[in-house]
Amino acid sequence: MVFSSLIFLFAFLPLTLAVYFAVPFRFRNIALFVVSLIFYGWGEPLYIIVMIFSIVTAYAFGFPIGKYRDVNKKKARFFLCLSLILNLAMLAFFKYYNFFAENLSLLPFLEGKISTIDEISFTLFGKNYTTDFSLPVGISFYTFQIMSYSIDLYRNDASLQKNFISFGTYVTLFPQLVAGPIVRYKDIDDQLSERKESVEKFASGVRRFCCGLGKKILLGDAASALYEYFKSADGFEGSVIGAWMIMICFTFHIYFDFSGYSDMAIGLGRMFGFEFVENFNYPYISKSITEFWRRWHISLSTWFKEYVYIPLGGNRRGWAIQLRNIAIVWFLTGFWHGAGWNYIIWGVYFGAVLILEKTFLLKLYDRLPVAVCHIWTLFLIGIGWIIFAFTDMSSGIDIIGKLFGIGATSFASRTALYQILRALPLILVCAVGSTPYPRKLLSRFVVKYKWTSWAASAGAVMILIVCTAYLADSTFSPFLYFIF
Amino acid sequence: MKKLSDKILIILFVLFIGGFGMAFFILPDNDFSEEENRYLQTFPDFGIDELINGDFTENMNSYYADQFPWRNGLVGIKGVCETIALKGENNGVLLGKGGQLAVRLFDAYKDRHTVVEDTDYFFSENILRAIDAVKKFEQNCDIPFTVMIPPRTVDVAKSAFLYPDELSERLQGLLDENLSDSASYLNISRILTDLYDSGEYVYYRTDHHWTTKGAYVAYSEIMKKWGMEDLVIDESEFKKETVTDFYGTTWSRAGYKFISPDSLEIWTLPDDDLYVTTVYDSKNTVDDKGNTVTEKVSVKSFTSFYNREYLLKKDKYSVFLDGTHAEMTVTYEGNREGEREKILIAKDSFANPVVTFLARHFDIVVVNLASGMCDLTAYAQEYDCDRILVLYNLENLVENDNLANIK
Repeated sequence: MVFSSLIFLFAFLPLTLAVYFAVPFRFRNIALFVVSLIFYGWGEPLYIIVMIFSIVTAYAFGFPIGKYRDVNKKKARFFLCLSLILNLAMLAFFKYYNFFAENLSLLPFLEGKISTIDEISFTLFGKNYTTDFSLPVGISFYTFQIMSYSIDLYRNDASLQKNFISFGTYVTLFPQLVAGPIVRYKDIDDQLSERKESVEKFASGVRRFCCGLGKKILLGDAASALYEYFKSADGFEGSVIGAWMIMICFTFHIYFDFSGYSDMAIGLGRMFGFEFVENFNYPYISKSITEFWRRWHISLSTWFKEYVYIPLGGNRRGWAIQLRNIAIVWFLTGFWHGAGWNYIIWGVYFGAVLILEKTFLLKLYDRLPVAVCHIWTLFLIGIGWIIFAFTDMSSGIDIIGKLFGIGATSFASRTALYQILRALPLILVCAVGSTPYPRKLLSRFVVKYKWTSWAASAGAVMILIVCTAYLADSTFSPFLYFIF
Repeated sequence: MKKLSDKILIILFVLFIGGFGMAFFILPDNDFSEEENRYLQTFPDFGIDELINGDFTENMNSYYADQFPWRNGLVGIKGVCETIALKGENNGVLLGKGGQLAVRLFDAYKDRHTVVEDTDYFFSENILRAIDAVKKFEQNCDIPFTVMIPPRTVDVAKSAFLYPDELSERLQGLLDENLSDSASYLNISRILTDLYDSGEYVYYRTDHHWTTKGAYVAYSEIMKKWGMEDLVIDESEFKKETVTDFYGTTWSRAGYKFISPDSLEIWTLPDDDLYVTTVYDSKNTVDDKGNTVTEKVSVKSFTSFYNREYLLKKDKYSVFLDGTHAEMTVTYEGNREGEREKILIAKDSFANPVVTFLARHFDIVVVNLASGMCDLTAYAQEYDCDRILVLYNLENLVENDNLANIK
C-alpha cells in the first residue's frame, strides 16, 4: 500500500487510528505490528514471508550476540556475522541476483551457464503457485534497519530486545517501512517501550503528513508528469531546451516525491507518538556536493557512515585509506539504489566529486562567489539525476550531450516553449519550495500573529482536500467508445 | 489558543478521513459510470488463490477508487485547481477561448509493439504506411473511391488556444504533401478551420466530434467531389431539433466541470420515417478447422436514423445510428424512383451523422474501420456496391494502423 492512495487515506488510516487509540498502551505495539503486516502484505502478499524470515533470524541471533558481547567478543562477532550474512543474502538474492546473472554470463567462459530468474514456483497446501521474481517492496530499507539492530546490539549501543512484538514493530512500522527514513535501532529503542502520544504531537503529525502529501502529489507528481512529457517528446524531436527540462523536472520530481514521502512518514510516526530522524534538510540550497550529501537522504548517509565508513577506519588512518573508504561507501551507496550499472556509476560519480572536493575544490569554492557555487552544485546534482533516471545509460549520455547541443535537432520547438510556459508557475513554486524561506516566513508569523497557527491548520486541511481530489482524478479514466 | 487550534485540526482530520471512509461503506455501489462510459469495479472475489497472487488486493484498490464517494465532484475540484495553477490544460485536454476544449495528447502508434502514450507527436512512418495503402487501393479499385480524413478538434480550433499549431501543421502537411496527387483524397481540413475561425459551430466544444453542421459541410464536399453538387439538400430545408445539455467525451476527460454544455442538433426531413437503419454487431469465433469466423450477433432495426433514447443519457452523440456497431445498412423503403446507387462507407464514429445526409441519395452499407474491418474489396463485392468512401479521422490515423491495412 502507498500513502498516496485513497484506500490508505480513507480506509487503512482511520481504522488503524481507531484501533490504536482504542486499546491500552501495552497492546499498542502489537496493534501496530498487525496493521503494519497488513499494510505490507497488501502490496506484497507473498514476499511478506521474506520479511518475516529476516525479522525472525535477526531477532533469534540477537540472543547469542547479547549473551556473548561482554564475555566473548569473538563468539559475539561470529553470531553477528551470521545474522548479517543471512539478511544480506536475502537482499542479494532478491535485488541483485538477476543483475549478476546477466553480467556474469557476458563473460566468455560463463556464457550461457547462468540463467536469470523470471518467476518462482512453489507449492502451498498441495497447490502450485507461480509468481514473478521481482524486488520485494522496501527490502533495501528494512534489511538496513534489521542490520542496525544486530550491529548496535553487538556494539553495546542498544540492549537486547527480548520482546518479539517490539522488535517486529520496529522493523515493520508502516510509516517508515517501504521508503524510510531508515531508523537506527538505538535511536528508537526507548520509544518502543515508552512513548507519549499527545494532542500537540498528533496535530503536528497531521500538519507534517498533509505537507508531505501535498509535496508528493501537487509538486512531485506534477513535476514527474512534465518530466515524462519532455522525455517522450525527446524521442521524437530532441531539443536543447527539452534536455534541460528533463534534468530540471526530474530534479524537482525526485526531491518532492522522496522528501514528501519522508514527511508523511515522520508525520504518521508522530501521530503514534514516535519521533523519527529528519531525512532531508533543503538539499538544493547546498553550495557543494559535500554539503548536499549532508542534506539529502540523511538517514541513509548516516547509516553508511556509521556502519561502513567508520568501521573501515574513516578518515583516521591516513589519506590513502580514507580515499579507499570513500570509494567503497559511494560504490555501495550507488548500488544500494538499484541493481543497474547506472546506479553504480551514479554513486561512483558522487564519490569522485567528493574526493575532488576534499582535495582542492572546496578551497576553490571559498574564493568563488556564493551564487556560482550554488549553480555549479545544482548542475552537478542535475547531471547526477540524469545518470540516475536513465537505467539505459546510452539514453542518459544522449540527454547529457543534448544539454550542450550535441545530437539535438533544434534549440527549442514552439511546442516545447509552450510546455515550458505552462510549467513555469509550477517550477517557480518548486524552486521556492526547495528553500527554507517559506518555513522561515511561517515561523516568523507564528511568533508575531496568533492567527497563523489557525492558518497553518486550515492550510493542512485544504491540502488534504485538494490532494484527495487529485487522487480521485488519477483513477478517473474515461473510456472513449469510438475507438472500438 | 494554540492547543485549541491543534484540537480542531485533529477533529477535522479525523472527521475528513473517517467521514469519507464511512460514506464509502454506507453509500450503495454503482455498476456503471456515465461520465467515463465504463463499468466500475465491484467488490472483488475473495479466495486463497486471489489473496496469494495479489489479485484480491489489487482489485480492492480499484474497487475503492472506483466507488469512492463524490468522485465526480472531486474530479471537478482538481480541474479548478489546475486552472488556478495556470496550467492551461488538464489530463491532456486544452482549455481555450469560449470554453472550447480539445484533446492535445494522444497515443502515437508505431507498430504492434510500440505505442507512445500521451504525446502530441506522431510516427510519420505509420501515417505514410496508411497513405501508401490508400494509393495502392486507389490503383486497384475499379469503382469510384474517395478518402476523407476529418481533422481533430485541436487542428480545427487552433485559433482558440495558446498551444502552437506546429505539430498540427506538420501532420496535416504530411497528408497534403503525399496525397495531393491522389484523385481519391478529399481534403476538408482548411474548409473546416476557416468555418471555425469565422464563428461557425462546426466542432463541439466538449466532444471530439464534429457537429451536425460540420457533418453537413463534409456531406456537401463529398457530393461536390462526386459531381452531384446539384443534389445537395439545402440546409434551410431541414427541421432542426436541438438538445442543449450535451457534455461530450473531451469534457469527461478534462474534468473542467465549469464549462457550459454543447448543443446537439438533429436535422430531420418529413420523410425520415421511410428510412430503415439496421445495425449488426459481430463476434469472432474459431471453427473446427481453426479458422476465424466472423459471426453476426444481435441485429437491430429501426426507422429513420436515430435512437432517441440516447438523448436522455450522457452519451448523446450515439443518437446517430445508435452509436458504434460493426456493420450497418441504411435503406430507403419509400417509393424508389429509379435505381439508387449503393455506397460502402468504411469509417469511424465521425461518419455517423454524415450517413444521415448521404442516405437521402444512396443505399448505404457501413463497416467499422475503427474496429479493424479492413477488407474493403470483399465487402464491396459482397454487398455489390457502386462506390467506396473512407471516412477516418486524424486521431485514429495517429493512434492505430487500420487505414494502412485496407485492401
